[in-house]
Amino acid sequence: MTTKATSTKATKTQNTRRQYWFCAFRVFVCFVVWPTVAWGQSLTQRGFLEGTLVGYPQEAPNDPTQVVDDFLAREEVFASPTPWLRLAGGLDARANSHDQVEDSWAVDFTDRTIRRPRFSIRRAAATLTHGPFTLDAGKQFIRWGRADVVTPTDRFAPRDFLNVFDNELLGVTGVRGTVETGAGTLEAVWTRFTPSRVPLVDQRWTVLPPDVPPPPGPLPRVYPDSPQVGIRWNHTGAGVDWSASYFDGNNYLPNIDATGLSFPPMHMAGGDVALPTAWLTIKGEAAYFASSSTTTDEYVLYVIQLERQTGEWVFVGGYAGEAVTNLRSTTPVTFAPDRGMTRSFVGRAAYTIDVNRSFALEAAVRTSGDGEYVKAEYSRAYGQHWRATVSAVGIGGHSDDFLGQYHRNSHATASLRYSF
Amino acid sequence: MNRRTGRVGLVGMLLLSAGVVRAQDARQIITEAQKRTDAKSQRYEGLLQVFDAKGKISDKRWSFERLGSHGQSKAVLRFTAPAEVKGVALLIVNHPDRASDQWMWTPAIERDRRIALQDRSTRFFGTDFSFEDLEERDVDQYDYTLAGDDSIDGAACWKIQSTPKQSKSSQYTKAFVWVRKDTYAFARIENYVKDQAVRRLNYSDIQNVQGIWTARQMEMTDLRRNSRTRLTLDKLEYNVPLKEDDFTLLAIRRP
Repeated sequence: MTTKATSTKATKTQNTRRQYWFCAFRVFVCFVVWPTVAWGQSLTQRGFLEGTLVGYPQEAPNDPTQVVDDFLAREEVFASPTPWLRLAGGLDARANSHDQVEDSWAVDFTDRTIRRPRFSIRRAAATLTHGPFTLDAGKQFIRWGRADVVTPTDRFAPRDFLNVFDNELLGVTGVRGTVETGAGTLEAVWTRFTPSRVPLVDQRWTVLPPDVPPPPGPLPRVYPDSPQVGIRWNHTGAGVDWSASYFDGNNYLPNIDATGLSFPPMHMAGGDVALPTAWLTIKGEAAYFASSSTTTDEYVLYVIQLERQTGEWVFVGGYAGEAVTNLRSTTPVTFAPDRGMTRSFVGRAAYTIDVNRSFALEAAVRTSGDGEYVKAEYSRAYGQHWRATVSAVGIGGHSDDFLGQYHRNSHATASLRYSF
Repeated sequence: MNRRTGRVGLVGMLLLSAGVVRAQDARQIITEAQKRTDAKSQRYEGLLQVFDAKGKISDKRWSFERLGSHGQSKAVLRFTAPAEVKGVALLIVNHPDRASDQWMWTPAIERDRRIALQDRSTRFFGTDFSFEDLEERDVDQYDYTLAGDDSIDGAACWKIQSTPKQSKSSQYTKAFVWVRKDTYAFARIENYVKDQAVRRLNYSDIQNVQGIWTARQMEMTDLRRNSRTRLTLDKLEYNVPLKEDDFTLLAIRRP
């Protein structure tokens, strides 16, 4: 009886959800597609279908699976019904052979699911422009910072870390206002909290210390209700680009303890600079992080990076550092790739073979020698639509190091993408 | 002694003044060529075809908009095909007295990146154009010498050597520019590093578009790699209404 009632309720919920999305689709057609077609304004799209095969030579203690198939379909549509209004919409559809995708067929908007959603709204935003003023509202991508190695000031850019090193940006829902002046832009941001997606507890990218028993299932998560706000001045000039930024919100990476995952309050003040010289481009980025949580560290992250292009080569190399100003965390389990990648030398060399082929090599080495990571990638385009990419990742080091803990996760990847 | 010195001085002065006249002529020719292409704005859709020694290997399409002319212009170049580079955009801010500023927007990572001066010699998306080749040349950024007369595709041309001034940071040591005598349109530019010709840009299908003689096809040959890239201009228009607001870092993020 109870089961039947639950089932009826679920069906009703599903119907309501379907009606909601049908209504949303009609709104989209009425307000975006129809005016665009009728008034002859621009409507553009881009998308792709991508299949990826990942092979791990070694089994992990908590995950014997050695081959994972993944499929992603993405479609993004951009419309300009009027010169002052631009609309953007994007949808992702996923499938995975290793239970990394949610079973639900509902379309996800929040990106708060433990696994990747089967269907998700990647972006849904309106951009209004009036003279120097621009307002972006809705689900969108906001990037701060200039460094590539680690970007400490990039506070509105949570990521999907299910496979730690092949991570992907997640959109955030909110409002961004920008005022453009001759010398730069002033940006103010207000968003709802979006967490980074952390590795699944029963899969190889979660590595627990030997004395910590694996939890029976996903740990509970408590998401903050408070908004995430930030302000950034970004200067672009003839000789140097720089910015100063402030963020007040929550860390999109969790504190982990026996009770579950929590996302501590965070205040960030930071900046970045890019200085092109005759031989090199020097980039720097640094941020100070404070928290009102008594179990959260306070620290400074900084990056010094050098870039040089010569012929068909692009070289990027740098050092990412960390200085802890107030050590307060006591938990033995953490997941903080931003801090984990610091105290490391990081480099990347990319070579453009021709218009269709490229090769890249990247590496990270901890200064302590406790962890290292190296990746080689070859990519080739075929015709106007197809691209094949193969890569090999080697990871080594000690189990108590952020990089080294993944020493059983060296892997090779082959992906085929059809863009349209 | 005095008579001999005087004779040498006179010959020297004559040679020098001839050189000045030739330099002056060369500058006047380039100035006139530049003046004849002045426009408030320009828009076209470009088709880039890349050929290696064996044949065609890639097509790319972009839309191009430019506000202003020569050293006072801003331009946005936005890829429209193939699908994997759709939305990639380049903002070029040209200056009369120095090299341009350039930024590239890459939608896949949602970030813009300044193209540093030392990076301008790199090939643009694997084509035979470098980032520097996408800049607009301004007459005041070079010194000129008339190198003689020549003909390109049967059209009589002035052959002019241009050397970048110190303020114009360039990968090229010098260039030879061929300017058609009938229309003052560029017919060829051959770029040199030291004494080696490295890139040759041929202009063809020159048509009068709204009073401006314009090459509808340009072919850049990388003489060291033996590869070439052909750029064909479609839907070319001059003096179209464009807004200053569309030539900013913020604007190139909008698809």
